[in-house]
Amino acid sequence: MSGAALSAAGAREARPAAHSWREAPIQYGTALLTVVLVAAPLLPVLYQSVVDRPLYDAGKQLTLGNFVRLANTDGFGLILWNTFVFAALTTLIAQVLGTLAAVLFGRTDMPAARVLGEFFLWPIYLSALVLSFGWYTVYGPSGYLTMLWNAVFEEPFWDLYSLPGMAAIAGVSLAPVAYIYCMSSATITDPSLEEAARVSGAGTFRTLRRITLPLLMPAIAYSAVLNFTVALELLAIPLVFGEPAGITVLTTFLYTQGVAGIRPDHGLAATAAALMLAVVCLLVWLQGRLLGNTRRFVTLGGKATRPRPFRLGRLRWPLFVVCALYIAATVVAPIGVLVLRAFASFLSPMVPLTEVLSLGNFAQLFEEPIYARAVWNSFLVSAVGGALATALIAMIAVVVHRSEFRFREPLHYAALFPRAVPGVVAGVGFFYAIALMPGLGEIRNTIWILVIAFTMRYIPTGFGAVAPMLMQVSPDLDRAARVQGADWWTTCRRIILPLMRPALVACYTILFISFFKEYTTAIFLFAPGSEVIGTALLHLWIQGEAGLVAALAAIQVGVIAVCVAAARAAFGVRLHG
Amino acid sequence: MAELAIENLTKRFGAVVAVDAVSIHVADGEFVTLLGPSGCGKSTTLAAVAGLDRPDGGRIRVGGTVYFDGRSGAFLPPEARNCGLVFQSYALWPHMTVFDNVVFPLTLRKVPAAERKRRVAEVLALVEMEAYADRYPHQLSGGQQQRVALARTLVYRPEILLLDEPLSNLDAKLRDRARTWLAELRTRLGLTTIYVTHDQIEALSLSDRIVVMNAGRIAQIGTPQEIYERPADPFVADFIGTTNFLPGRVAEAAGEDALIELGDGQRVRVRASPPRGPGTRVILAYRPEQIRIAAEGAAPDGAGSVVTARVVSRAYVGGRWQVALDLGGGPLRLETARPPAGDRLRLWLPAEGGILFQGSTDVSLV
Ligand SMILES: Nc1ncnc2c1ncn2[C@@H]1O[C@H](COP(=O)(O)OP(=O)(O)OP(=O)(O)O)[C@@H](O)[C@H]1O
Ligand SMILES: [Mg+2]
Repeated sequence: MSGAALSAAGAREARPAAHSWREAPIQYGTALLTVVLVAAPLLPVLYQSVVDRPLYDAGKQLTLGNFVRLANTDGFGLILWNTFVFAALTTLIAQVLGTLAAVLFGRTDMPAARVLGEFFLWPIYLSALVLSFGWYTVYGPSGYLTMLWNAVFEEPFWDLYSLPGMAAIAGVSLAPVAYIYCMSSATITDPSLEEAARVSGAGTFRTLRRITLPLLMPAIAYSAVLNFTVALELLAIPLVFGEPAGITVLTTFLYTQGVAGIRPDHGLAATAAALMLAVVCLLVWLQGRLLGNTRRFVTLGGKATRPRPFRLGRLRWPLFVVCALYIAATVVAPIGVLVLRAFASFLSPMVPLTEVLSLGNFAQLFEEPIYARAVWNSFLVSAVGGALATALIAMIAVVVHRSEFRFREPLHYAALFPRAVPGVVAGVGFFYAIALMPGLGEIRNTIWILVIAFTMRYIPTGFGAVAPMLMQVSPDLDRAARVQGADWWTTCRRIILPLMRPALVACYTILFISFFKEYTTAIFLFAPGSEVIGTALLHLWIQGEAGLVAALAAIQVGVIAVCVAAARAAFGVRLHG
Repeated sequence: MAELAIENLTKRFGAVVAVDAVSIHVADGEFVTLLGPSGCGKSTTLAAVAGLDRPDGGRIRVGGTVYFDGRSGAFLPPEARNCGLVFQSYALWPHMTVFDNVVFPLTLRKVPAAERKRRVAEVLALVEMEAYADRYPHQLSGGQQQRVALARTLVYRPEILLLDEPLSNLDAKLRDRARTWLAELRTRLGLTTIYVTHDQIEALSLSDRIVVMNAGRIAQIGTPQEIYERPADPFVADFIGTTNFLPGRVAEAAGEDALIELGDGQRVRVRASPPRGPGTRVILAYRPEQIRIAAEGAAPDGAGSVVTARVVSRAYVGGRWQVALDLGGGPLRLETARPPAGDRLRLWLPAEGGILFQGSTDVSLV
C-alpha cells in the first residue's frame, strides 16, 4: 500500500463517540456507595448513644444519660480493666513469640526453619472461634491433653478460663502478625548492617542483641499496636472462655447487652460501642503515625538474597526441638485434635482411636437443615459476596488512583476507615441500621445483610491487595487509551481492570477466606434462614454438641486449607501482610 | 489536516513552572521539533496539547476547534481531541496482541469489522510489522514496539501527531535506521507533527522548524539552519552543536565592522550585527569547524584574524587529535589531524560566521 493513501484519503476520521458524561455518575456513584456503606453502622451507633430510648421507639430525646449510666454500671470498671489486661497480655505474648520466631526462622541456621515458619503462620488463616474450640478440645477441662496430664500428674498447671489462659490463646493466634512484620523488616532482608557489626568483631548473640533487635524495633512496635487493636476487638475467645468464668470484656459486654440478653439495653450497648470506636480510632491513628516511621525500616517485597544466617552452634538442635514442640502444642495439636474429634464419636486418651472413628458427626450435621443451610449460606456469602465486594473495591481503587475525581482523597479515606471499626461495633451498628431504616426490613432475614456488613468490614483488606498492583501499572497505558479516544470508563474496562486481573483474583481469594471465617459481625445480624458457619458453631457450642462443633469447624478448616493451597499454588499469592 | 496554535501556554506543578508562557504555531502539515535539556517542559507541553494535563493558562487551538482556553475555562477531554500521541515508553498494552493494540482506536470509533481489519493490515504494512500481528508486546524488540506504537496512532488518522522521544529507547544503530525510516514516513504522510527530543541530530535532520526550550521557556524558534547558524543566545549556541565561547570587549567599531579585544589583549576582527558600541562586553562564539590552524607566517587579512592560544592538553581520539586550548582566558576545543608541536598554537578565526552575544563573562554554561 502507499502512505499517500493513508493520508490523502482526506476523509478525516469521525471523532470517537463522546461518552464523557459517564464518568461523573460512575465516580460519584462509587463514592456515594462507599460512604453509605461505611456510615451505615456508625451513625446509628453514635445516634443511639445519645438518645434516651431505643431507636425504633417514638419520642426520643437527646441526652448524655447513657454515658452516665454506663459509668455507673456495676462492674464496668472491672470490664475495662479486664479488657485492657487481656489485650496487653495478648500483645506481649504475640510480640515475644513473633519476634523470636522471626529471628530463629529467618536469621539462623536452625534445621527446617522454613517449614516451621509455614506452620507458625497457620493461625492467621483460621477464625479465632475455631482456634478456641481447638484449644478447648486439647486443653479444656475434659480436653485430650488435660486428661492425659491428669492420668500422670495431678491438676494441670494451665487454666484456659482465666485472663492469662485467654491471652495465651489470643497471643499465639496473633503472633504471626508480629512474625510477618519482623520478617519483612530491613534487618532480615538486608544483611549488610549485621555483617558490618560481625566484621567488626561482635559475636553472634551480641550482634543479635545490639544490632538485629534494635533494628526490628519499628516493626515490633507497629505490629504491637496492630495486635493490641485486634485483641481489643476479639470476641470469640472471651465469649468461649471468659463468659463461663464470669470474666467480661468490652466485646462480650456488647454482645450480651446488645443482642444476646433477654432485655437488651440498647443505650448502654451503643454507648460502649461508641467508646470502643473512639479508642480504636485513636489506635489506628497511632498505627498510621508509626507506619510513617516504619517505612524507613520496613522493606516490603520478596527476599531476593538470603543473608548469611547466624550460627546457633551447639544450641542448634536443642532450639529446634523447643520450636517443634511449641508448634506441635499450639498449632498442630489444637487444629489436629479438633479435626480428629470431628471424625470420632468420642475422644479420650483412655479409649483406642479405632473404636471411636466414625462419620456420625457429619451425618448428624447434615440431617439438621439449619446446619446444612449454614454451610451453604457460608459458601454463598463468600462466593457471591466476595465477588461483589471485589467489584466495589476495584471501582474504588480505579477512582482513587486512576481518575481526576474531585473527591478521590476523601474517598480513599472513607474506604480505609473500616479499619477503625471493630467487628462488634459494625455488628451492633448494622443491627440498629436495620431497625432504623424501614426499607431494610426486607433484607433483614436474608444473607444479603451479611454480605453488606462483611463487605464494609473488608474494604480496607481488599484495597490493600489491589492498590499496590494498580500503582505499578504505568499511567502511560491509560493515558494512551485516553488520547486514542477512549473515555475514562472505557479505559478502566478495557485497559486497567484487565491488567489488574492478578490482583483482583488475589483480592477475591482473600475476601472469600475472610468472609468464610467471619463470625463477629454475623452473630449480631443473623436471623433464622441466614445462619452461617460461625453463628452455627456458637449455637452448637451453647448446646454442648462438641462433636458437631468439631465437624462444622473441620469443614471450615478444610475449605480454607484448600483455598489457601490453591491460591498459593496457582498465583503464588501472599495471603497476608 | 489542521494547524495547531499554542498561545501563552503555562503549566505549574506546585512551585515549579514547568511551562512558562509558551507560544508555538505549527502550520498544516509542518513537522516541528521541541528540543531542550531534560526537564525543560517538552513532555508537559505535549501532554497539554493531548489533553492529559490541564494547563494553568493559555490557549490551544487546532484548526477551528478550541482544545483549551484558560480564560473561558474550555477544556476538551483527551478522548475528544483526536490527537495521536506516541509515548516515550510506547505504552503498548501488554495484555493485547499487536493486532488488538492497533485495532483498539478503530473499535472505539465504531468502524465496521471488515474495514477495521483492512486498515490494521494497511497500517501494519506501512510500518513493516504485518508479520507480527499475533505477537504480544513483550515478544517484540524495542524498535518493533516503537513501530507498533506508531501504527496504533496512525491507524485512526489523528489530526495532529505528537511524538515524545520515540527513539530514545533504541540503541545507536537502530536509532539511525529508525530516524531514516521516520524521515521517509514523514514525507509520505505529511501530518502536522510535534516531535520531542533532546537529540540535536534528530532535530536537525527531521524538522521543518525547531523550537529550542530552556527551563519552561522558548529560547528560539527557527529552521534547523537558522538555529545552527544564527543561535539567538549562548544557550542555544551551546545546546546545538559544540561551541567555543570567548569573552571579550568591543575595542573599536565602525558600522558592522568590530574589533574585539580578548582577555589577554589579542584582537579579533568580526562582523557585528547589530552593531555594538566600543566598550561593550561581549561573548564571541565559534563552531569548532570554523576555527583553523594558521599556516606558517600567516597574517591577519580582511577575511579573518590570527591569534595565539596556549595548549592546555591534547588527546588522541583515533585518527584525530583533540586539543584543549586557552585563548585569552576562554577555553577552546579543536580537532586536528596532527598533534600541535609546541605549547603554543596559532589560530585563524574568520570574520564572518563568528557570533557575537551581548554579555559579561557568563560562559560557565559551557
Ligand atoms: N507530575 C509532575 N509533578 C511535579 N512536577 C512535574 C510533573 N511532571 C513534570 N514535572 C516537572 O516539570 C518540569 C518539566 O517536565 P517535563 O516532563 O515536561 O520535562 P521534559 O522536557 O519532557 O524532560 P525529559 O527530556 O527528561 O523528558 C520538570 O522540572 C519536572 O520535574
Ligand atoms: Mg519528557
